[in-house]
Amino acid sequence: MNRRLMYNRASADRDGKPWSERKRYVWWDAAQKKWTGADVPDFVEDKPPDYRPKKNARGLEAIGGDDPFIMQADGKGWLYAPSGMIDGPMPTHYEPQESVVRNLLYAQQCNPARHEFRRRDNRYHRAFGDARFPFVLTTFRLTEHHTAGGMSRPLPWLSELQPEMFCEISPSLARARGVVHGGWVTLTTARGQIECRAMVTERLKPLIVDGQRIEQVGVPYHWGVVGKVRGDAANELISFVEDPNVNIMETKALTCDLVAGRRPRGAAAHAERMAMDESMDLAVEEERALGEEKLRGEGPPLAEPSQMTPKG
Amino acid sequence: MEPRRRVGFFTDTTVCIGCKACEVACKQWNQLPDDGLVFTGLSYDNTAHLGASSWRHVAFIEREKPLESQTTGLGAFSWIFHSDVCKHCQRPGCLENCPTGAIIRTEFDTIYVQPDVCNGCGYCVAGCPFGVIDRRDDDGRAWKCTLCYDRLKMDLEPACAKACPTDSILFGELDELHIKAETRLKQLHAQGVSEARLYGPELDGVDGTNAIFLLVDEPEVYNLPPAPVVPQKTQADAWRSVAVGAAAMALLAVGTILSARGRR
Repeated sequence: MNRRLMYNRASADRDGKPWSERKRYVWWDAAQKKWTGADVPDFVEDKPPDYRPKKNARGLEAIGGDDPFIMQADGKGWLYAPSGMIDGPMPTHYEPQESVVRNLLYAQQCNPARHEFRRRDNRYHRAFGDARFPFVLTTFRLTEHHTAGGMSRPLPWLSELQPEMFCEISPSLARARGVVHGGWVTLTTARGQIECRAMVTERLKPLIVDGQRIEQVGVPYHWGVVGKVRGDAANELISFVEDPNVNIMETKALTCDLVAGRRPRGAAAHAERMAMDESMDLAVEEERALGEEKLRGEGPPLAEPSQMTPKG
Repeated sequence: MEPRRRVGFFTDTTVCIGCKACEVACKQWNQLPDDGLVFTGLSYDNTAHLGASSWRHVAFIEREKPLESQTTGLGAFSWIFHSDVCKHCQRPGCLENCPTGAIIRTEFDTIYVQPDVCNGCGYCVAGCPFGVIDRRDDDGRAWKCTLCYDRLKMDLEPACAKACPTDSILFGELDELHIKAETRLKQLHAQGVSEARLYGPELDGVDGTNAIFLLVDEPEVYNLPPAPVVPQKTQADAWRSVAVGAAAMALLAVGTILSARGRR
């Protein structure tokens, strides 16, 4: 029953014939009076392409034989959601809360409908061009682990396949920061500091934005303090700033710093934390003076607590 | 005895997505322990090689070469995957080296190590030209892919093939697999992947294998031997060399004695 491609009836035209003979995938077999092809049809198997729903039909019966998107109420593919979104309806581009560059599309830097959490334990870097955090950081997942790894790290069969926290960087960033492949690096944001192994790879290419060469750091999610394999957690680095519709924080695009070596511990770590806090306080003052809050764009006022309180 | 069925694997590396489901499914079905929690730095490959407790191994290869017929933003670079497994040779070095008869050819034309007979001598390890079979540290016996002998007996396909979400690993009758492999090869060549090639059936040094692989580069790129030969095939040559060596030493000895006498 497991279909490999959702909505695969869309590989055939309104009459149920493949759009392309070469790429045919699922189609209507008129002789057998059913959908057939290389996959399990993601459609009512014997609903012909010329089926039209009756006036007061409900559920699947309300979806015509030429409407492949069966999980939508009208069975149609949508270019945008006409209702229900707080922002929108058309998609556009804003820079994340923390970026390396100005928004090239609008004067408004960030999504004006975002939710900020301005607190001492949730500091934000400057909206762009923060010299202390010159690299883009993005997080991703590995097939070997599940979410933050709480369920997969206790399993030896999965732990052995991805046993250690690492970050992916380009050879050029590795050279610039004196990092060796497989060696330790420390990643720093205003929220926290983690250490991990360096995976130096050609897969991660620096971005060229507005003529500027920007290095990226890719960080998987899955480590923590318990389990057969342990490591620092990517979540330590992330800030809380939510999108207005589903209230997910910006884990996929933020800024960071990267240096070779392990992170400081004990008194040294405390001193570094104090210095970071002080630097962040100064930065907030500076931002106020520069009016950079305006540059980040409309949003909840600086002094106010957020519109939403964090969950849990 | 003629085998009842002749089965094998066809591993099409061009559709492998590197999910390692085959590795995990194999370990779960065969209840194999982990092989050490070690970060290797070999791309996403932390298994590194086949062994006593890893009977499927997915290699992650980062090549400074684009994938033919594809254009990506990475330029002269591609990331290719390959799920390796025991080749189940027609002339198996492990079986021929086994002094106890623990390693047998089954009714499915596969090579199987009987764990209750294996005495852990390790001769098979030296006999395998692919470096597949290995002894386990804790019990000393030799282990490798059984091609899920127990599942075959129940008319089930091997766990790795069952788990593979893209059908990169196909299990079936060898004759059918050969046809599927040839068809896929032709298809890839027609699409402009001129470097695509099959690996396994043409390896004369082991009289061909029941595990067929479709590769898009030299076997060495995948850490596969380009021309594996079972040690038994070179045995005659080896003994001939020993004989020549022995004769030469005898001659030398006699010559030394004669010349020593002559000087006196």
